[in-house]
Amino acid sequence: MSSIVLRAQFWVSPTRRAWLARLGYGSLGVAYLAATFGVARGSLYLQGLVLVAACFAICALSLDLVAGSTGLYSLGHAGLFAVGAYMTTIIQAQMGWNIFVLLPLSMVAAAVCGLGLGALSLRVSGLYFAILTFVFTLVVGVLLSDLAITGGYAGLPSPSFPNFRGALSGLGSALAWTVMLALLVAIVVTWSIRKSPMHRVLLAIRDAEPFAEAAGVRTRVVKVMIFTLSAALTGMAGWAFAFLGFVSPGQFSWSVSVNMLVMVIVGGMNTFLGPIIGAAFVSMFPASLSIDPLWQEVVFGAIFVVVVVFWPRGFMGVVSSLGRRLAPVQPVQALRSGASGASGEVSSVREESALSLYNGKCVVSRVGSGPHGVAVICRGLTFHYGKGPAVLKGVDLTVRAGTIHGLIGPNGSGKSTLADLISGRLRPDKGTVEVNGVRVEQLPAAERARHGFMRTFQSATLVSELSCKDNVAVGYYGRVGGIGSRSLVWPLWPGAQRDAELLSARARAALASVGAAAWTEVRVADLPHGAAQLTQLAAAQVSEPRTLILDEPLTGLSVREVDHVGNVLRSLRDSGVTIILIEHQVRFVFALCDEVTVLSAGEVVASGEASQVHGDPRVREVYLGV
Amino acid sequence: MFEALVTGIALGCIYGLVAMGFAVAFLVTRVINFAQGQLLMISVMVAAAAASAGWPSVVAMLAGVACAAAAGALTYVVAVRPVLASDRFSFGWLVTTLGVAVVMENVAAIIWGPTSRAFPLMLNGTSAHIGSATVSWQQILAVLVAFALLSAFELFRRRSIYGKVSMAVAQDPEMASAVGANTMVISVSAFVVAGLLAGVAGVLVGPITYANPYLGDTYGIDGFVALMMAGADQPAGALVGGVLLGVLNNEANVIINSQASAWFPFVVVVLVLLVCPRGLFSGEVRSWLRGVRRSLVGVG
Repeated sequence: MSSIVLRAQFWVSPTRRAWLARLGYGSLGVAYLAATFGVARGSLYLQGLVLVAACFAICALSLDLVAGSTGLYSLGHAGLFAVGAYMTTIIQAQMGWNIFVLLPLSMVAAAVCGLGLGALSLRVSGLYFAILTFVFTLVVGVLLSDLAITGGYAGLPSPSFPNFRGALSGLGSALAWTVMLALLVAIVVTWSIRKSPMHRVLLAIRDAEPFAEAAGVRTRVVKVMIFTLSAALTGMAGWAFAFLGFVSPGQFSWSVSVNMLVMVIVGGMNTFLGPIIGAAFVSMFPASLSIDPLWQEVVFGAIFVVVVVFWPRGFMGVVSSLGRRLAPVQPVQALRSGASGASGEVSSVREESALSLYNGKCVVSRVGSGPHGVAVICRGLTFHYGKGPAVLKGVDLTVRAGTIHGLIGPNGSGKSTLADLISGRLRPDKGTVEVNGVRVEQLPAAERARHGFMRTFQSATLVSELSCKDNVAVGYYGRVGGIGSRSLVWPLWPGAQRDAELLSARARAALASVGAAAWTEVRVADLPHGAAQLTQLAAAQVSEPRTLILDEPLTGLSVREVDHVGNVLRSLRDSGVTIILIEHQVRFVFALCDEVTVLSAGEVVASGEASQVHGDPRVREVYLGV
Repeated sequence: MFEALVTGIALGCIYGLVAMGFAVAFLVTRVINFAQGQLLMISVMVAAAAASAGWPSVVAMLAGVACAAAAGALTYVVAVRPVLASDRFSFGWLVTTLGVAVVMENVAAIIWGPTSRAFPLMLNGTSAHIGSATVSWQQILAVLVAFALLSAFELFRRRSIYGKVSMAVAQDPEMASAVGANTMVISVSAFVVAGLLAGVAGVLVGPITYANPYLGDTYGIDGFVALMMAGADQPAGALVGGVLLGVLNNEANVIINSQASAWFPFVVVVLVLLVCPRGLFSGEVRSWLRGVRRSLVGVG
């Protein structure tokens, strides 16, 4: 306790902080150049050791991009590495092309392989992605050892690399500079993606894919593109590796793919420095341990097991948990203020919400088809899961624009399935869904989100390692253009800082408007269930949708918070948003909703004005049990 | 060519047994055990060492199979259980099972030396004639044993309560343990069965390959390729996949050239995966065939 109190709080002005950051990056850059100079002038033994490690560091960084951030365990990276290395070696030897022309060529070749592999395998599950990429590496290995052009098992000697001439010759080995420069490129690209809002989107795809899709992220496209990028970087590593002595099939066997994964895990998945540290450790390990090679392999294999079992978050995980033990300030403070501030905050936030999102120009764009138009029409929706019985049997539903439409019914009556059909997670067997006059039942969820259609999930699906604010920012993804394409050089891009601040401000405002301001900086992993529901609500409405589906948004909320959510939903409706609300708290539903539909065993029992439905004897029978 | 077909079937049964081991472990735990090939190697090495120490060859082989089964259980306890316990959907087992494979292979090389050693002959190396082909009794035994094991396994899976509980564990371990299934015992048993299958494959192939600590790599990969052709969770399909692979290997050698078995099966597996990524015997292909049959019947 005392350490928390005694800890001094330094306040640094933003301009000063930016200046300090620039100074920090500048000195890091100078240190990197100095280290490179040392390697380039160093002994051949040192060069061999460091440059091989650098090539693997590029591979590990690019692998972490797919495995750590996106959750795609590629076992194809040795194959992609081989594509870059062998292409460079063979084309140089056979046709004598300039080696610097071969760099982009190697990257493109590896990227094309990655694109093909990704497009083919990501239509099935993550496990099949691992298997298919594994088979790719096997096939590349077979081609390398059996074709005449690749030199068979013996491999091929490296093309020669030009040296510095004249004044530059004091710099030492040009090859060392080139390889280290390639590593720097990989470092900048991965660092930039980690800094950009795209990183949160990748994490959302990894941990909460339905959430990402509902936020308008075309997850399959993003997955294929990120794997293609990773493949291109690995191709660059292969190009650099081609100049380090010779290439032979053994250097690119399938076990090398697993070694790369080990590098990432040993260093720390989804961290910036982890893959580099892991690559340095794994590739220099054999040289540093001068024992019998068989025993060396035994130790090596044992390390695989021990690290994954005991330190699954790797070296960086150990470091960060040590760091947290030394300075346990941030999460504790945030949680405490969250707990104590929640009750007082709600009332003050209510006023704030009035002036935040709903009064601006956005209101105009939302009132699309007029207050008395029809927002959603479902006709004859029929659906069953797999071979099971039909969950929905010819459901008709009409939701008028600018109203709150309640959807109630006993457990298992098909409410959430209906929500999934309307929002695009599932496709109906029969029947149509029309939103604002457009037939959407064949559109994927992400497309519907882009048509102003957002939703929350019954059990909160969020990224648990990100803060509430960052999760909500994922919901705003569709409204800021080019996050994906700009992420490669995000910090350098003009307007990036402005867009990042816009995202952050929008997310803050959205959290405040639902009464969750106190949790803004808290990680979702540390949230109570109710706050997670509020965060989902904030993430769904931050992008100013025209239609909103809420699947049991009140689960786990206190009475006070329930009241507040009621007010939020009313003010959303008054600004023109159509809301479909699935909820079990009947009193809340009938007090809030304009119209109510009652489902029972996959059929509509009653639908209409809330007061009429409430009086319907059949509804009382099936649902209220009165 | 006919002889290549028959010997291909025999060889394919060995691949098939390894692939079946992969499939049994995967079916229950959703883990592909990359040390599966090394289990075969352990059986071969132990049997060879025991036989050269003067044990009767049948006892030596039983010892080999038992060691492979024990090594399977050990793999699960050391490398799979801890990973799945912390996160059921983690892919950490990709790395840990491979680590176990590396350790097994090199420890075997340290104990028994990296070179090949003799393996006891079975059935005195006699052979029979089937049509124009000469087939050793050893190979006929391999086919018989493989199909006997498959039938026993399928009977056990479908008829016994343990088999049904294993399927429940495969579907949803949390739910299965909630209704009283001991998931730990079931999962260990799956790895023991996987080890048994690999061990039996080992003593069947030992007389042909001799005992070598690096056998695991070759047979592990071949078994994996057979598994990929069939679909990862189809033990019966895996055996058929193995037979298919064995026949393809031998016929490619005869028809294309003597090196073709090194690459031809990979071409086939890539084509298979492109057309049906979940394998030949997966649900999607079966339902597609059913659709074809229905439309044919409809037309007729």
